[in-house]
Amino acid sequence: MTKYILKRLGMMLMTLFLIILLTFILMHSVPGGPFTRDKQVAPAVLAALEAKYNLNDPLPVQFFSYFSGLLRFDLGPSFKYTGKSVNDFIVNGFPFSGRLGLITLVFVLLTSIPMGIVASLKNGRWQDMLLMALATLGVTIPSFVIAAGLMYVFAFQLKWLPIFGVDDWKGYILPMVALGGYSISFLARLMRSSLLEVMGQDYIRTARAKGISEMRVITRHALRNAIIPVVTVLGPTVANLLTGSFVIEKIFAIPGMGSYFVNSVTQRDYTTIMGMTVFYAAFLITMVFIVDLFYVMIDPRIKYE
Amino acid sequence: MSEFGEGSFVSEWERVKTNTRDMEKIWSTPRTFAGDVWFRFRKKPTALAGFLLVLFLLAFALLGPLFTPYSYSDQSLTLANIPPILSVTEASNGNYLYITPAMKVIQIGRDGKLLGQLRKIKDDDTLRRISFTLDDATVVYLDYTVKPAAMLDSNGMRSPADKQVWNTSFLLGTDQLGRDILTRLMYGMQISLLVAFVAATINMVIGILYGGIAGFLGGRTDAIMMRIVDIISTIPLTLYVILIKVTLDNGLFSIILALSSVYWVDMARVVRGQVLSLKQQEFVLASKSIGSSNRTIMLSHLIPNAMGPILVTVTMLIPSAIFVEAFMSFIGIGIAPPMASLGTMCNDAMEALRSNPYQLFLPALAICLIMFAFNFVGDGLRDALDPKLKK
Repeated sequence: MTKYILKRLGMMLMTLFLIILLTFILMHSVPGGPFTRDKQVAPAVLAALEAKYNLNDPLPVQFFSYFSGLLRFDLGPSFKYTGKSVNDFIVNGFPFSGRLGLITLVFVLLTSIPMGIVASLKNGRWQDMLLMALATLGVTIPSFVIAAGLMYVFAFQLKWLPIFGVDDWKGYILPMVALGGYSISFLARLMRSSLLEVMGQDYIRTARAKGISEMRVITRHALRNAIIPVVTVLGPTVANLLTGSFVIEKIFAIPGMGSYFVNSVTQRDYTTIMGMTVFYAAFLITMVFIVDLFYVMIDPRIKYE
Repeated sequence: MSEFGEGSFVSEWERVKTNTRDMEKIWSTPRTFAGDVWFRFRKKPTALAGFLLVLFLLAFALLGPLFTPYSYSDQSLTLANIPPILSVTEASNGNYLYITPAMKVIQIGRDGKLLGQLRKIKDDDTLRRISFTLDDATVVYLDYTVKPAAMLDSNGMRSPADKQVWNTSFLLGTDQLGRDILTRLMYGMQISLLVAFVAATINMVIGILYGGIAGFLGGRTDAIMMRIVDIISTIPLTLYVILIKVTLDNGLFSIILALSSVYWVDMARVVRGQVLSLKQQEFVLASKSIGSSNRTIMLSHLIPNAMGPILVTVTMLIPSAIFVEAFMSFIGIGIAPPMASLGTMCNDAMEALRSNPYQLFLPALAICLIMFAFNFVGDGLRDALDPKLKK
């Protein structure tokens, strides 16, 4: 187990290094970007950039200094906003994004798994048809369309929920549903097909033959195995929620990291784009790593070579 | 037993003349692999519906512009934000009057054609009414003391907006710059489909080559190549599409480049898996024994046999490419104006969602239709190509 963890950890760090390198190279190749000398930038920003990135040094040296900054969790100054650093954006935005992401994740798990279970137990009946029709809608309709539709109906027409902002809990409802829509549908479909497959296995028949109640067969025997595929895609699901929140935060004007990121992209705030990308990538890779460890732990059949 | 004596069989039944040639003949018409797939594909209603929808959308995007009088960039600011269905007031000359959200009055013919704005005479702040001339003869008033604003005829009597007219000049209305939404939908769909098809094709080619080579060579080369794929697939691809897009300009080409540089990973995995199992089979050995080069084995034996899963992966790649393109356009790094993809149209309409919801819902509906169509076709293809489901 320890060997497996160490191996995965090594892979993870290597991936992270490659991401940082790639991002750095991409941002350096931007014509008119922060790292070319012929451009019009505020002198204060230029001075900060100069101090931060040692623009006169050769590229490998610049990369090394950027990288050692990253090791100290210093993501560098903003290219567009004087006196702001990328760290400021993350510190300001993360609480909102983190809260939205966490609420959505819980919401996704609490809806998709029961949906999948009901659909598979009522296989072929109207409950199954209805839930799977909903799930098909969920995977085909882009999140920003869901968000706009929800906003129009519940905020503009019915006026039940606020249009934007997250001053109280009500503000989180629409973003949560819009952000989670795809993942709920995807996981519900996965849960349904996985449980259907498990219910056809011999050991379920054995359990029934022993006279155990159907409820117990499902909860103690079937679900334990059926839930494993759902756990395996939790990593990508977290990634999905995080990148999906770019659009959702923009639509509902939530001052989270996604808003800052989208803003920096449209403003061409290159150093912020670079810093945010590295942060997002690191965060996601860590999440996927944790989910994978969790998955290895709950499934005794998996051998960690 | 007694009714049918043994002898009766002999007399009623007659020996058929054997014909050795007919014994070997296959009486049913043989079905090709493609025919077989098509047979199973069309048995599934959603798959067939998806396929027809794809054909319809292609026709709409490619042939539609031939039938529309507008181009995607024709703008008339005086006719901005006109919805497809208008609530109108009947005027004294028999035509209809429509009040725009910007407090302009537009005259509309009885057939629903837009005849143009009424000329404004005066905005009376104290009475809170605006006067207009109708045909340079009669005067009508726009009363904005009430909400929504109402028309008053020349005697100051309120005439209610009680009629609904279909806007026949702009069937699906106009956007915030007065451009015809129907026309822009056609061009937007063209761009979305073009981006998706080209990106999917490039991804397919890269994926086939990469996965094919890795699977065919095997051993250490395969291990290294697949480790690279593993690393790429842990990177959130949306981030990289955005990043690549930022480093390039706002053209069509850069979107395609950004999309096709990252999404080939799935394809490479699928092809590698196929090639790994196919290369063990006898027909490859046979081909090797007659001295075929690796190139021939790969291109004319392995890849054609892996075409089924490749096709399914491509059909699934198209909706995700459309989705990512729409996503990027929506956050503002899409194609440069005045051209527009469906995502850019949604983005442009987002600000005015409250007053002009149709501007957002029409392109959104178009995106959903494309996604539905390709997802259904992909699902149907996967089932049709799966020999396990063969009946």
